[in-house]
Amino acid sequence: MNLAPLTKSIRLRLLLWLAFLFVCILTGFGVTAYQFQRITRLREIDDEFEQRVAALSADARKSLPLDSLPDAPPPAEDSGHRLPSEPGVPEVNPRGRTIHLSVETQRLIDEWDTNGFYFAFWSQDGDLLKKSVNAPAGLKLPEHLLPDTVFRVRARGDFREAFHFTEMGECALVGRNIAADLAAMHRFALLLAAVGAAVLALGLGGSGWLVSRALRPVEKISDAARRIAGGKLSERINVAETDSELGQLANTLNSTFARLDTAFARQRQFTAVAAHELRTPVSVMLTHTQNGMAGGCVNEEHREAFEACLRAAQRMRRLIETLLALSRLDAGQETVRRIPFDLSRTARDCVDLVRPLADERGVKMFTEFSPLEIFGDSERLAQVVTNLLANAIQYNKPNGEVRVKLERQNNLAELAVSDNGTGIPAEDLPRIFERFYRADKSRSTGGLGLGLAISKAIVEAHGGTIEVSSNVDAGTTFTVRLPVA
Amino acid sequence: MRLLVVEDEPDLLNGLARALRRAGYAVDLAADGDGGLYKAEGTDYDAIVLDVMLPKMDGWELLARLRKTKRTPVLMLTARDQTADRVRGLDTGADDYLIKPFDNDELLARLRALIRRAAGQTHSQIEIGDVVIDTRARTVARAGQPVTLTAREYAILEYLALHRGEVITRTALYEHLLDESDDTLSNLLDVHVFGIRKKLGAELITTRRHQGYCIEK
Repeated sequence: MNLAPLTKSIRLRLLLWLAFLFVCILTGFGVTAYQFQRITRLREIDDEFEQRVAALSADARKSLPLDSLPDAPPPAEDSGHRLPSEPGVPEVNPRGRTIHLSVETQRLIDEWDTNGFYFAFWSQDGDLLKKSVNAPAGLKLPEHLLPDTVFRVRARGDFREAFHFTEMGECALVGRNIAADLAAMHRFALLLAAVGAAVLALGLGGSGWLVSRALRPVEKISDAARRIAGGKLSERINVAETDSELGQLANTLNSTFARLDTAFARQRQFTAVAAHELRTPVSVMLTHTQNGMAGGCVNEEHREAFEACLRAAQRMRRLIETLLALSRLDAGQETVRRIPFDLSRTARDCVDLVRPLADERGVKMFTEFSPLEIFGDSERLAQVVTNLLANAIQYNKPNGEVRVKLERQNNLAELAVSDNGTGIPAEDLPRIFERFYRADKSRSTGGLGLGLAISKAIVEAHGGTIEVSSNVDAGTTFTVRLPVA
Repeated sequence: MRLLVVEDEPDLLNGLARALRRAGYAVDLAADGDGGLYKAEGTDYDAIVLDVMLPKMDGWELLARLRKTKRTPVLMLTARDQTADRVRGLDTGADDYLIKPFDNDELLARLRALIRRAAGQTHSQIEIGDVVIDTRARTVARAGQPVTLTAREYAILEYLALHRGEVITRTALYEHLLDESDDTLSNLLDVHVFGIRKKLGAELITTRRHQGYCIEK
């Protein structure tokens, strides 16, 4: 029960979501701030334009000849210097229209200065009446789309220009190169992006720390759970914060572990008690049947009865021993000895032990052993090998073959016991290591149905594995792998 | 040979008694720890078969107390086969242990070995001149020819042979060959010794007047 990858993925998922949220919020905030700043700046610029266009327009009105606008006051005499006009552009249009700029207007649109405003004025016929020295080339009369005098703005590359048509159809235009303003806005956008990135990094770092902190109890719980699963049943999770959700989880787990501990303790106790309570009656049966048989039985019928009882008692005795060994291995009570021994010698002894059985069944045995020293309990492992050999002989066909091979595969001792017998049906294969499970439902072979279960338990107590592969009518192979050192 | 069996399960106690008597032993019985200790301290048994789980006083306790006064060989019967239990048994002074359930043959073999070791013998065959006693098969041969002895005759011969060189008093023979419920031998000891001498030669067993019998080294 390794929880580490899970917590990592929870952390990852939380952080990804947080990153997503941060990016959304920061982007929204940044875009809004940028737009707000941009609109405000442009409106400021436009306000400046409007002021100047209005001044220009007012000057133009004042410069009108009296006959064309009878109620207008006569043009005021200029006190300041007159604007020089571009050469080639007539100061006076063919109809004698002139425009005088007032001092205020000249101050507002200081064409010599650096504030960059320029102006142009067109007659109602579209003739350029006047334009400032700094006006950019390619300046064109705006289209007069609607017959109104509304102040309008147009953008031409880096230039922004404001204009309006007077009621007489003349056009006043003021413009300025706003490249610097645009660059400032661009810088502002970059600044926003940089601040956003910094906030994102800071936020993610902080979130990562918070998430780790929040998940640390989970790691502690999973560590404790792992140690408990590893056999330290008395261990508990140290619950510091009892009221939090994780504290409740830890408490729940602790009570589960306590129950588990109790269950194992009860199992151990049961094993000890069962050992005594089961063995004593079987002892009585064995002693009395053996006495009865030794006493010279009255007749053949009695003798058969005694023999049946004796067989049953012997069988019960093996059953008890095996079950107790299994339950002790289960409870981890029985730690196997770790003594170095030559597995090939043990395997050879086992082969010799079952040879009479093989001869009786006409089964040939072939062995291929290389000396291999491993650490373990040779008696217990001999039990495994004998079990596998007996099975291979018992479930073989007459004149069948059993092959035993022991070899070293990297750091593992690999013992394979193969037969060419009837094989095990595929649906039985996953269950053959279960207790009392028999592929042969007739129970005619007289085994206990525990051999493979105890073999598996013993092999696993040695830190090894046991596996089976089988083909019906082709044979079965059991492979035991044990660590060499 | 006289044995004490201490076992609280009555059926097992009776079964053991029957099996051991059939094998030629004189057998005393005790069903709890107190009674077992009382008998074990009062009599020189050749061996004691002692169950671990007993009422009143368990096998460990009995053994520990007995070892203060006697070196009688003790075979522990235990229903637990944990290594810790075995080690404890042997450390406390048990001479052997047997895990229940056991075969009668194994119990008998272990008892024979125990008694033999206690008497300083290492083989199951004892040779005295041309007489060979096989304690396993409980048979006697003279010059290669099997000789048939009665159970009593065999018991007396085996005891004297195991304690070869020692003078065994009549009382000791009574003690070791008869159990507490048996007094049939009392006046017949001389008859049995006469039978042995007749079958195996008069010089095998010497009589020490007012002391007892002896097989000379």
